[in-house]
Amino acid sequence: MSETKKDESGEARVGVYICHCGGNISDHVDVEKVAEAVKGIPGVVVSHTEMFMCSDPGQELIQKDIESGSINRVVVASCAPSLHETTFRGAISRADMNPYLYEHANIREQDSWVHHGDPATAKAITLVAAAISKSRGLEPLEPIRVDAANHTTVIGGGVAGLRAAVDLAKSGLKVALIEKTPFLGGNASQLDKVFPTGEKAADLIAYLTSAVIKDPNISVYTCAEITGFEGYIGNFNITVSSKAPQGDMLHQVQAATAGKFQPFGGFLPKGIPETDTEETLTTGVIVFATGFKLYEPRTGEFGYGDNKEVVTLRQFIRIMDEAVPGTGTMKIDGRPIRRIAMIHCVGSRQIPGIHEADADDYMNEYCSRTCCTATLQAALEIRDKYPKTQVLDYYRDIRTYGHNQEDYYTQASEKNVLFFRYEPEDSPVITKTVGEFPLKVSVIDKLTFNEEVEAGVDLVVLATGMEAKSITNLVEMMKLPVGSDKFLQEVHPKLRPVEMANGGILLAGTCQAPMDINESCNAAQAAAAKAAAKAAAMLGKGYVELDPFVAKVDPEKCKGSGECITECPEKAISMTADNIAEVNPALCTGCGMCVAVCSVNGIDIQGWGLKAYEDMVDAIVKF
Amino acid sequence: MANDTQEGKILILATETCAYPGANSVGQAHSSYPTNTYILRVRAPVLFPERFYMDCFRKGISGIIVMSCGEECPYEGAYHAFAKRIDNVFQLMKKQDIDLRRLRLTAICTVCNRPFLKEVNDMNTLIRELGPPVMKDTVEN
Repeated sequence: MSETKKDESGEARVGVYICHCGGNISDHVDVEKVAEAVKGIPGVVVSHTEMFMCSDPGQELIQKDIESGSINRVVVASCAPSLHETTFRGAISRADMNPYLYEHANIREQDSWVHHGDPATAKAITLVAAAISKSRGLEPLEPIRVDAANHTTVIGGGVAGLRAAVDLAKSGLKVALIEKTPFLGGNASQLDKVFPTGEKAADLIAYLTSAVIKDPNISVYTCAEITGFEGYIGNFNITVSSKAPQGDMLHQVQAATAGKFQPFGGFLPKGIPETDTEETLTTGVIVFATGFKLYEPRTGEFGYGDNKEVVTLRQFIRIMDEAVPGTGTMKIDGRPIRRIAMIHCVGSRQIPGIHEADADDYMNEYCSRTCCTATLQAALEIRDKYPKTQVLDYYRDIRTYGHNQEDYYTQASEKNVLFFRYEPEDSPVITKTVGEFPLKVSVIDKLTFNEEVEAGVDLVVLATGMEAKSITNLVEMMKLPVGSDKFLQEVHPKLRPVEMANGGILLAGTCQAPMDINESCNAAQAAAAKAAAKAAAMLGKGYVELDPFVAKVDPEKCKGSGECITECPEKAISMTADNIAEVNPALCTGCGMCVAVCSVNGIDIQGWGLKAYEDMVDAIVKF
Repeated sequence: MANDTQEGKILILATETCAYPGANSVGQAHSSYPTNTYILRVRAPVLFPERFYMDCFRKGISGIIVMSCGEECPYEGAYHAFAKRIDNVFQLMKKQDIDLRRLRLTAICTVCNRPFLKEVNDMNTLIRELGPPVMKDTVEN
C-alpha cells in the first residue's frame, strides 16, 4: 500500500477543482473568484480552475496532486454529477486513491445555467463550500461485488435492434431480442428504398433478420413486452410477457408467411405465441432500440383528414409502390396525378405561438433530420418513373445534411422539381377547388421575394416528422432519463453517447433522437460494442462492482435497541450475539430508513451520511 | 457571503432518481429561478430524522422543500415512512411556532420543470413575506 493510500483516513487535505466548462460555467460564474474564495476554508490545500475538468489535462491535474501526496480528498465543481462523477472517480482510482473520497458540486445545471452575474458566483462559492464540508468527513469505501450474467437484452426489433442483436451475438454474448409486435423490421418495413444508397429496405431487413434467426445465441421474443424489472448492471431480472396476437394483428399474422418478409409489414419469424406466457430472464446489459413513431397531422393541418388527396409521405411511399409504373403520368385508382405538392417540416420545428401545442402544452420544436432527404428521394422517384407528373416542393430550409445527401437536392433541381420556400408564419394553405385540380396550394414564396404563388395540384404529400414513441411503462419501471423532447437521454452526447445514466442500460437508434437508418445502425453498433465491452469487462472478472452506499453500524455507538431492525423493509439488519446491529450489504438498498430511527446515531449510510448533510447545511448557512 | 442574509435561504432536498435530475432539466432549459436555493442530492429523504429539519430552522434556513419521487420512490416503504415523519416534523414546528408553510413536501419528476419552478418561486415569496424563522424556545430563553 502506498504512502498516499495509508493517509486516506488521516486529516482531510482537500483539492478543489473548478471547471470553466468552456464558458458554460465561466461565462456566468467568476471561477477564479470561486477558487480564491474557497482557499481559506479549513482543509483546503489546493484550489485550481481548468477549462474542461473532464478532459485529460483536467483529470491529470487531480492525479498529479494525489500522486504528490498533497491531497487526500477531491472536490470537483462542474456539470451535473450524473455526467462526470464516474469520470472523476475513475481518475482518482487511477492515481491509486480511494475513489469514494470525492464530492461533486453542480455549478452548471444548478447555477450558471439558471443564474447570472455576482449572485451566480456567490452561489457557486456556497455550493463548493458545502461540497468541501462533506468531503472532509468522507471515508474510504470498497465497492460491493456481485456475480454478472453473460446475457444481454435488446428491446425493439427494428433495424437498430436487429443490428445490435447481431453484433452482440458476434461478441459471444447470449441475446434476448424482445419485440412488441409479431414482426421484425420496425419502421423500416414501411419504406421502399432507403437513402443514400437506394437499396431496398426489404433487402436490408431480410439480411439482418436472417442473421438474427440463424444465430443460436439470439432468442427472439415477438408479441412480447417487459412487464417486470429489478436489479442492477450485470444482474437485471426482467419479466417478459408474451401475448398471442388478436384482432387486426392476428389477421396480419395470418396473411403473412412465417420466415418471410411481408412488404410493408415486416419479417414474420416462426414461433409466434399461441397462448399468453411469462418468462423471467437474468440479463447483464439492456439495449434500448424501441424506435420512434411518426407525427400524425391534426385534422385540417395542411388539409389533412379533410381531403383524401392529402397524404403523409409514408402513405405516399406505399401508394407509389402500388401505382401502375411507366405511364408517363402517375395514376392513383385511375386518377391521373399531374402535379404533386410536397410540404416539408410537418410536425417538426414547431414554434410556440405559430403552431398548435398538444393537450399537454407540448410541441416538437426539433428538426426531424430525415424528412428533407426522404421527401427529395420521393420527388426524384416520381420524376424518374413518371416524367409527366410535376413536383412542387415547399420547404422552410433544405436540410439534406448527411453524407451524399446533398446530391438529392442537386438532382431534384436538375430534374425540374420546382422549389418554393416558406416562412412558418406564412405556411402553405391548402384549399379545395372546383375545376381542373381538386386542390389549390397558396404560399408566400421567399425565393421570389414574397410573391404569392397559387398552384392547382392533384395530390399533397406531407413530410411528417419523427416523435418519441410512448414507452412510459418502461421509463417509469426503469427510472430512465427522458429529454425535454421526450426522447430517451444519453449521459453525454459526445463523451458517453449511447449510455444512459442508469448503469448497464444503453441506447440504439431513434429512441434517442431522430436519425436515419445509417445513423441508427451506427448507434446500434456503438451500443452493441459498448454493451459487449461492459459484458466482457464483467465476465473477465466474473463480477460487477456496485457502489457501496449501504448502511453501516458504528459498534461504538450501537446500544442494541433493535429500532433499525424493525424499520428495515429489506430485512437487511440483524443482531449479533454481542447485541450489536449488523447490516447484510447484499440485501441493503441504502434507503436510510434505519438512520432516522436510531436515537444514538449508531447507523448511517456510507457515502451519504446524515452527518455529511448536517455539515453541508452548516456550510450553506455560513457562506 | 453568498447572498444577502435578509433574503433567507431555501434548502431543497432532491431525490437522486427524480427531483435532482428534474432540477438539472430546469438547468438544461436555462429557466431562471431565485439564487437563494441550495439543492442537496439525497437517495431518499426518509434518511432525515425529525431533528434534522428543526436544526435547519434553528441554524437559520428559512424554508425547506423536500422534492421526493412521491409514490414512485424506488425504495420499498420509504415514502410512507417519510410522509409519517414529516407529520411529526409539522407537530414539532407547531410547538415552536414555526409557520408550517416553511416546510413543503412535493413530488418532482425528472422533467417536471414547471412544478419545480412553481415550488421554488412560491417558497421564495413566502419566506420574503415571513422573514427569518424564530424558534419559540429561542425567544423564551
